[in-house]
Amino acid sequence: MKIKVKIADQSYEVEVGDTNARPVIAEIDGQKFEVWPEEQSAVETVETVSEATPALKAAAAPVKMPASGGTKVVIAPLPGVIDSIKAKPGDSVNPGQELLVIEAMKMKNSIKATRSGKIAAVLVSVGDHVPHGAALVEFTD
Amino acid sequence: MDLSSLYNWATALNPLQMTGSVLMIAVGCVLIYLAIAKEFEPVLLLPIGFGCILANLGMSVYNEGSLFYYLYKAGIETEIFPLLIFIGVGAMIDFRPLIAQPKMVLLGAAGQFGIYGVLILAVLIGLPINEAAAIGSIGAIDGPTAIFVSSKLAPDLMAAIAVAAYSYMSLIPIIQPPIMKALTTKKERLVHMEYSPFPVSKKVVMMFPIVVTVVISLIAPSAAPLIATLMLGNLLKESGVVDRLNKAAQNEIINISTLFLGLTIGATMVAAKFLNTTTLAILGLGLLAFVLDTVAGTLFGKLMCVVSGFKINPLIGACGISAFPMAARISAKMAQEEDYDNFILMHAMGSNTAGQLGSVLAGGLLLTLVAVIH
Repeated sequence: MKIKVKIADQSYEVEVGDTNARPVIAEIDGQKFEVWPEEQSAVETVETVSEATPALKAAAAPVKMPASGGTKVVIAPLPGVIDSIKAKPGDSVNPGQELLVIEAMKMKNSIKATRSGKIAAVLVSVGDHVPHGAALVEFTD
Repeated sequence: MDLSSLYNWATALNPLQMTGSVLMIAVGCVLIYLAIAKEFEPVLLLPIGFGCILANLGMSVYNEGSLFYYLYKAGIETEIFPLLIFIGVGAMIDFRPLIAQPKMVLLGAAGQFGIYGVLILAVLIGLPINEAAAIGSIGAIDGPTAIFVSSKLAPDLMAAIAVAAYSYMSLIPIIQPPIMKALTTKKERLVHMEYSPFPVSKKVVMMFPIVVTVVISLIAPSAAPLIATLMLGNLLKESGVVDRLNKAAQNEIINISTLFLGLTIGATMVAAKFLNTTTLAILGLGLLAFVLDTVAGTLFGKLMCVVSGFKINPLIGACGISAFPMAARISAKMAQEEDYDNFILMHAMGSNTAGQLGSVLAGGLLLTLVAVIH
């Protein structure tokens, strides 16, 4: 969905991806941004999206990540620190195969593939602090 | 060591007492073996085992003027050791999962059922109320709390209670899962839980220990010292400005206190006080307390599961005990064994930290209860 946003007299055209995915991927002038809406308000209306726009400004650093949603992206099931990464771009993985390990609460949590496919990109590096719902790994299709 | 005490020990004992002492030295060796070979809470069981050996070589806490006599007077009778340990425990606990999911408090309460179940049972089999309550404190599944409570209510039983509490705690991975599995259906264990915490700000995390200390001290004064030291440790960590004190709490303070606590408790284990049927009763009732805690917690988890319309995995009920963070890890692992994509760790941690608070409160309540009845 495309939305026009006006901030300080300048108009932006924002392309918003799947609003049910976390993070919501928004694209402005070819640059992609991760947006974390308040969990209480379901982001379904244009109104709430524009509410989230200040967050767009705040997220100054663009995240290198193609717009996508659904099962294409593996997201962090819990907040933690990336402990190790077992998959790399180009790998073909099967369901149940370990992709990476997130350490949370001093426990190592193995994040495994829930589908088969080819890895397009690993979006995090070892030592990264990831919030719950952060995109970790992306499949090609 | 005072040589005359060794002389007294060797000459004054009759063969029966001699046999008892030899038996207790063997018990001490078994504890050390369990600590080294099986890694059962080695930080505690190793010093307890060694202390036990020393106690039966004439160096017990009952030997007036000896090192352990003074350590007992200074650290256990005054409750200073368990309280110092709690400063360290507080500095190692992260209350965020609980603050983010306040409903977990319910599970932290359900997990204390074993304390009261065993208390009632112990009274029924004829133990005096103070001893029954001290034994029930094993159900807090929290070493320092059990020691704090039993040293006040029944100092003679404290060693057996401490040994039972710490041994069973290390056996949680063996005791809990079969009960949890038997009481839940596969469908329930497969419940995925949405992690949608309230945003927890730094300010809230820092306010939490202060507010809890004030509130608990007002409503449950007998639990106040335990809560206060636990929360002091937590504030040291969360404040972020006293890094050296935080590190000291997590390392030096808790380690030194644990060492001397273990040794001194071991040094109370003389044959005359330990080799009796009460010790057997403590070991049996203590195990029952663990089982009852797990049963009550899991059943309460099931209730929450049904009430919430299968949005709460009942496995997190079983970690509403103390034993942080081991109990939470077991619940999280069990859920993952059946579905590798099911992450309930943060929920389990919330329930587990609630259990830690709940066990301290329940310990305080035990003291109040006995004071009222007596």
